[in-house]
Amino acid sequence: MNPVTRALWNPIVAKEYRARMRTWRSPFAITIYIVLLGGLGWAVFSAIANNTFGSGQNNYGQTLFTFLVLFQVALLAFITPALTAGAISGERERQTIDLLFVTPIATFSIIWGKLLASMSFVVLLLILSVPIFSLVFLFGGIELDQVVYAFIVTGVTALTLGLVGLACSSLFRRTLVATVAAYAGAFVLMAGTLLYGALFPVVVDVNASQQPAPPAVTLLSPALPLYTIATNQPIPGYGVRYPSGGFNPTAGGGSCLTQPDGSTTCYSTGVTALPAGNVVGQGSSPTSGTQLASGLFKGWQYWQASVVMQLVVCAVALLFSALVLPPVRRFRLMKRRAAAPAPA
Amino acid sequence: MIAVENLTKVYGKRAALDHVSFEVPEKEIFGFVGPNGAGKTTTLRILAALMEPTEGRAFIDGADVTKEREKVHNRIGYMPDFFGVYDQLTVAEYLDFYAACYRQPKSRRQKIVDDLLALVGMTERKNQLVDTLSRGLKQRVCLARALVHDPAVLLLDEPASGLDPRARVEVREILKELRGMGKTIIISSHILPELTELCTMIGIIDHGRMRATGPVHEVIARLTTGRRLRITVLDAKEAAIEILTPLPSIRHVEAANGTIEAEYEGDETTASDILFALTGAGIRVSGFTPVDGGLEDAFLRATSEEA
Repeated sequence: MNPVTRALWNPIVAKEYRARMRTWRSPFAITIYIVLLGGLGWAVFSAIANNTFGSGQNNYGQTLFTFLVLFQVALLAFITPALTAGAISGERERQTIDLLFVTPIATFSIIWGKLLASMSFVVLLLILSVPIFSLVFLFGGIELDQVVYAFIVTGVTALTLGLVGLACSSLFRRTLVATVAAYAGAFVLMAGTLLYGALFPVVVDVNASQQPAPPAVTLLSPALPLYTIATNQPIPGYGVRYPSGGFNPTAGGGSCLTQPDGSTTCYSTGVTALPAGNVVGQGSSPTSGTQLASGLFKGWQYWQASVVMQLVVCAVALLFSALVLPPVRRFRLMKRRAAAPAPA
Repeated sequence: MIAVENLTKVYGKRAALDHVSFEVPEKEIFGFVGPNGAGKTTTLRILAALMEPTEGRAFIDGADVTKEREKVHNRIGYMPDFFGVYDQLTVAEYLDFYAACYRQPKSRRQKIVDDLLALVGMTERKNQLVDTLSRGLKQRVCLARALVHDPAVLLLDEPASGLDPRARVEVREILKELRGMGKTIIISSHILPELTELCTMIGIIDHGRMRATGPVHEVIARLTTGRRLRITVLDAKEAAIEILTPLPSIRHVEAANGTIEAEYEGDETTASDILFALTGAGIRVSGFTPVDGGLEDAFLRATSEEA
């Protein structure tokens, strides 16, 4: 067996697959997932049919797709930490972890096996959701590459949350504590970073010639890139702050700034500053995503920057897990106390 | 085969192990005896490379347990005192999983599993979910699990604890068979009579310190011979007890099954003084025998000395 095959199919993966799919919980979770996602699709479809979103809403496919991708990632944010937060701590609680540690199987393989087994289930959920997502093509307005990018972002988000869950599971001995910590981590990544962008936006330099971008940390949340992929524009006015009295967001997905001399500069999606009064209409030329015009990821698509940011978190979480999991740690979180002299 | 040198493990201010040293030659069965909290499990966990000692070194077949963990893991089979099993796996799948973890080729795993199930007498239960087995059967499966890679050394931490007498006998029979296969075994247990029968060597540990170690009968002889006397008198048993009790070398006297058992401090000269005291007082002594108190007596003496 070559190293790649061995990595992909180590004994822990096979054991986890077998044990996971023999319980009623997995089919139940799959059913609930599909019912919820399908239910949302049906609700949005009904709302569109009843014109609930207003007469101004004419891109049905885009609306449906936006709801579906955001709801899907929210569902996975609930499911993934539950899949991984008990993976290691559960072994400790069952008193099976020592039996694994005395085998020649490497610590990294244990983590990798647990991760792969959990992520396979997530991938299964994503695959099962494809027929629901295909509904958007009935209405048009969404290209195949947008769906692919949305699934990439969703998959990477699930991977990130999974690894954060595994890190918590490696650190904490009890599954309950690990689960709470994993959900807290998920909340920080998903909502906390968004909140940060809202509370501490980038202050727009009125002399800048380029469109402002929200703080880089906000890209850790998948909401921003998914919204951008679905609508081909960033969330209007999010993550940027205009000097007092200067904020004038437009309906076209861009934003306008009143300059000190009284003239107005409007910014539109992914392009540099336009002449005063010139506003670009939304969705006029659908692209696969919107570029960040400034900041750390200048010139990158929102989703690309988000994927990179999340993969960094993944790497940190993986490294952390590999360091804290072994029974004989090569480093300690706290300095060890000096050994006391042996009692006489 | 197994060498432990000045092993010390300190938790906070408490020394769980205090310069413990012993050696177990190849193919010997070493009984590790001690009260709860004496340091048996800590020693075995260090030998299994699951824990680092604060001081000292330990070697399994020449491999340092702190530096050559993978070598150690390939050479040992470890059975902890408390262990869990995976639900949703059958007995055969459970053993196959660990065989795969020990990198046994897939083509050989089926035979390994079948052979081990036959060894522990579980062949007819190979398709039963392992989580549904009784404690005794789980112990047997766990013992089989420790053997999936045919290790030269077995570290068994209380393998018979919590088992009913029949299950204990069954585990003992399996261990005898393993002894016949030439395995070097360290077995910690508090069921002392069984250890006497099974083990070739013994170590008595208490409060983290090794009180005695060596071949079983040597240790028992060292700790007990000459300290307990079984005295048979033709008559006047009460008078004999009255004579014995005030003697300064006597620690305890009791009448048992028609004889008198006396514990004393001292050597053979002291024993002869005791006999002289009895015969000098006109007691007709028909039997006067030093009693080998067995492992239980040796254990009690070793662990009470500095308790």
